[in-house]
Amino acid sequence: MPEILSINNLVKNYGKIQAVNKLSLVINQGSVFGLLGPNGSGKTTTLGIVLDVLKKTSGDYLWFGKHSSKDSRKKIGAILEVPAFYPYLSAQQNLHIIAKIKRKGIDRIEDVLHQVNLFDRKDDPYRTFSLGMKQRLAIAASLLSDPPVLILDEPTNGLDPQGIAEIRKVILQVAKEGKTILLASHILDEVQKVCTDFAVLKKGTKIYSGSVEEALNGARTIEIASKSMNQLVNTVKEFRPLKSLDEEKDLLSLQLEDAADAHDLNTFLIEKGIVLTHLAIRKSSLEQKFLNILKESDDQTT
Amino acid sequence: MIRLLEIEWLKLKNYKIFWILIGMYFLGLILVLSSGMFLMQFLKYKGADFNGIDPTILPLYDFPDVWQNMTYIATFFKIIIAFIVAISVTNEISYRTMRQNVIDGLSKWEFLKSKIYLILVLSGAATLFIFLEGLITGLIYSHVINLSYIFSELDFLAAYFLEVFTFLSFTLLLSILLKKAGFVIVLVFMYTLIFEPFLTINMLHNPWIKDYVSWLAPYLPIRALNNLIHVPFQRYVFMEIQDFIAWKDILIVIVWLGIYHLSIYKLLDKRDI
Repeated sequence: MPEILSINNLVKNYGKIQAVNKLSLVINQGSVFGLLGPNGSGKTTTLGIVLDVLKKTSGDYLWFGKHSSKDSRKKIGAILEVPAFYPYLSAQQNLHIIAKIKRKGIDRIEDVLHQVNLFDRKDDPYRTFSLGMKQRLAIAASLLSDPPVLILDEPTNGLDPQGIAEIRKVILQVAKEGKTILLASHILDEVQKVCTDFAVLKKGTKIYSGSVEEALNGARTIEIASKSMNQLVNTVKEFRPLKSLDEEKDLLSLQLEDAADAHDLNTFLIEKGIVLTHLAIRKSSLEQKFLNILKESDDQTT
Repeated sequence: MIRLLEIEWLKLKNYKIFWILIGMYFLGLILVLSSGMFLMQFLKYKGADFNGIDPTILPLYDFPDVWQNMTYIATFFKIIIAFIVAISVTNEISYRTMRQNVIDGLSKWEFLKSKIYLILVLSGAATLFIFLEGLITGLIYSHVINLSYIFSELDFLAAYFLEVFTFLSFTLLLSILLKKAGFVIVLVFMYTLIFEPFLTINMLHNPWIKDYVSWLAPYLPIRALNNLIHVPFQRYVFMEIQDFIAWKDILIVIVWLGIYHLSIYKLLDKRDI
């Protein structure tokens, strides 16, 4: 797979604060790459640097194997932080300016407006748009020149569930066309649903990177419930292969050692005279994985 | 260059405030520059006389004097164009569109060039306008109409262009430095019309300091601009005036122009946008 973006030992300091700390990443063609991390972990700073609007302190990055230039940026559709448009211009007029800058896409203005469901509002000034519409216009702008690479920084910020679903649909559709997407988000559900690979940043340092599939394999969560939850909790605690246990409302969710499975657990409980009212095996969510990764890194540092 | 100007045009052509300011500039100039003779009639009616001369016979619009008279008056209006520049540049910062333009594929320097082209075009349009206004009012009022007179002393128009372009470059620098439209406008206004003029008066006439600092006054940024085109009107009461553009004054302005553009470059070069 050809490398679209490779970041090598990137550092950005704001005075004494290290916003990005020796970050290295490779993003291959065709991947949908999720950049995760809590607020202030350096995601936007990293994207700002590779988009040439923030100055790096040291390190290096290559786009399409070359040093970045205005021409490499023309092949990238990107939104950073919040949508940025001229408030007194209409959606269409704003996109016209972008097409002029990119030297491409004037003929696609109507298409992309259709794609994000804004065609009916194309002549209204941007300042009259709701936050969700602004986000959608930003996505339309990033798609305008039909670029091989998209960078979307929190593209679902401020959207309602329906809007989030629409954006997800657009992202999946674009990914299917073979475009490479770099998606920064703290909504993990989003990343899990669309990404192939991901990396986790914390305080500017990369603490994990890998494919979504691998990360979610193996780790399974078992949910159980019975009529007497107290008795169930006490009994389950005696089950030796138990790794972790979370008490939720009317539900226990637990993780077992790799050697044991739901069958073993159920057998054990029956022997103890407990009848379950609920037993389910769930693939771990990225959210759990993410929290685990952060927690592990906390444990290491303390 | 054409592409960058086209982009600038797309940004401005539907921006109401831009057209209001442009309209104020041109209408204001038309009003003031065309009213010279009526003003003189008004003064006569009020009983004014200039050393016994009837004001209405003053040849304000005679070629080639009209060029210095016109460009001198017009320099007072350049601040309106400066507002256009301040608003256009600080908007790009507060809307974050400067950043988005770079993300979309302009280089930082292309962005800067698009703004420099804008102030070139504005300065050029203002100069062309003064030329047309001078030509028309001159043809109406001038006592002598003769091609060699009409086209002499056009260096005042060149000086006017240089003055406006330098002043707008000064505003561009402040806009990039301060980022807030209101702040830039107030600062340009106060500095140009109050701070520096009074500083100059003190440097030239304050008995405690004038011996030490009066030599410095012509080098102050606004004073240097004002020195390009001298006040022409005392000539109508038989006083000596400087009715030409001095090379030294041009040189001082060009040095300031260089300083502004170099500072803009340095500022943008090291800044995150």
